[in-house]
Amino acid sequence: MPGPLPRQKSNTWWNQRWAYRIVLLRELSSVAVAAYVVLLLLLLVSQVREGEGAFASHVDVLTSPLLWIVHLVILAFAQLHSSTWFALTPKALPLKLGGRRVPDALITAGAYGAWLAVSAVVLVIVLVVA
Amino acid sequence: MTSEATATRTVTLEVFRYHPERDDAPSFQSYEVPYREEWVVLDALNWLKDEVDGTLSYRWSCRMGVCGSCGMMVNGRPRLTCNAFLREFMPGPIRVEPLRGFPVERDMVTVLDDFMGKLTDVKPWMIREQEQPVEEGEYRQTPSQLADFKQFSMCINCMLCYAACPVYEHEDEFIGPAALALAQRYNLDSRDQGNAQRQELIWSDEGIWDCTFVGECSAVCPKHVDPAGAIQQAKVEATNSFFLSFLPFTPPGMGR
Repeated sequence: MPGPLPRQKSNTWWNQRWAYRIVLLRELSSVAVAAYVVLLLLLLVSQVREGEGAFASHVDVLTSPLLWIVHLVILAFAQLHSSTWFALTPKALPLKLGGRRVPDALITAGAYGAWLAVSAVVLVIVLVVA
Repeated sequence: MTSEATATRTVTLEVFRYHPERDDAPSFQSYEVPYREEWVVLDALNWLKDEVDGTLSYRWSCRMGVCGSCGMMVNGRPRLTCNAFLREFMPGPIRVEPLRGFPVERDMVTVLDDFMGKLTDVKPWMIREQEQPVEEGEYRQTPSQLADFKQFSMCINCMLCYAACPVYEHEDEFIGPAALALAQRYNLDSRDQGNAQRQELIWSDEGIWDCTFVGECSAVCPKHVDPAGAIQQAKVEATNSFFLSFLPFTPPGMGR
């Protein structure tokens, strides 16, 4: 006696909806962010080990046209990474004030606000140090 | 437009067919169904079963989005067919399939055993260390305490979230969105004392940690339960508990 049809597993599920594609890009964005952190770390190591001259030549490489494109791609991934996680923050960290839930949009706005504030501080440090 | 005029319009329904005693493999059968503005996909299926093919099999009951029986894939998305209006999908065709990720018994009838077992495993009921005698009255709760879990208690077990979840599709052991949300519903209930009993399973790999936060479970939920939110909140709780376990004392308000 033939039985029920076994459950199907699709290898192309991620390409069936935009929501799934964006989730996959979001997960992939962590690779780009991590790669950039490693790159910056290597730069620092080279400065410490090989001195000022080697560091300057590495920076020259980083400002070449090809690396500009790489920077833009990594920036785009970093933006996607931040914005998708900010959008999801209220789900993971619901806040209650006076017995009521803080609206999701307010929590997300708070994350963007904190991001702006930190960016402003970094900008000040960079401008003042430079 | 008069109802007579609308009745002459039709829409094509592409219906998933599989009868294990007759078919080696599933197939799609196309039917022309009268289009009515007030009809939902379930109305069209009922018309088909009454007027065209009595062997068509699917589950339904309340027709008002409460019983959770009539979930199917409509044009590739999990929907309660009783609140999926034909007019949303015009001019058609409308493809109707069983909920994905489940074995298929017959046509749109899926095998629910896996979900039912996992649902029972998370103990979605009130657990008390010591039952309070009836004479002492009810367990009281403030509106704020109710608000902590009310959203998660709206689940009707329709399993649309399972059909939307790629993790459930690929990981046989994953407990899945609805069962985890219901576990959280009781864990967050101030009257319940069953956290410790549920923890081992909920905090395991097959529990919350299999979830990669795709979030589609919440997007398709007809009752706005937000299982994805429930799972992420449980992850935060589990992480807090892990780190707090290294402290020699329990910080105020963290004791569970």
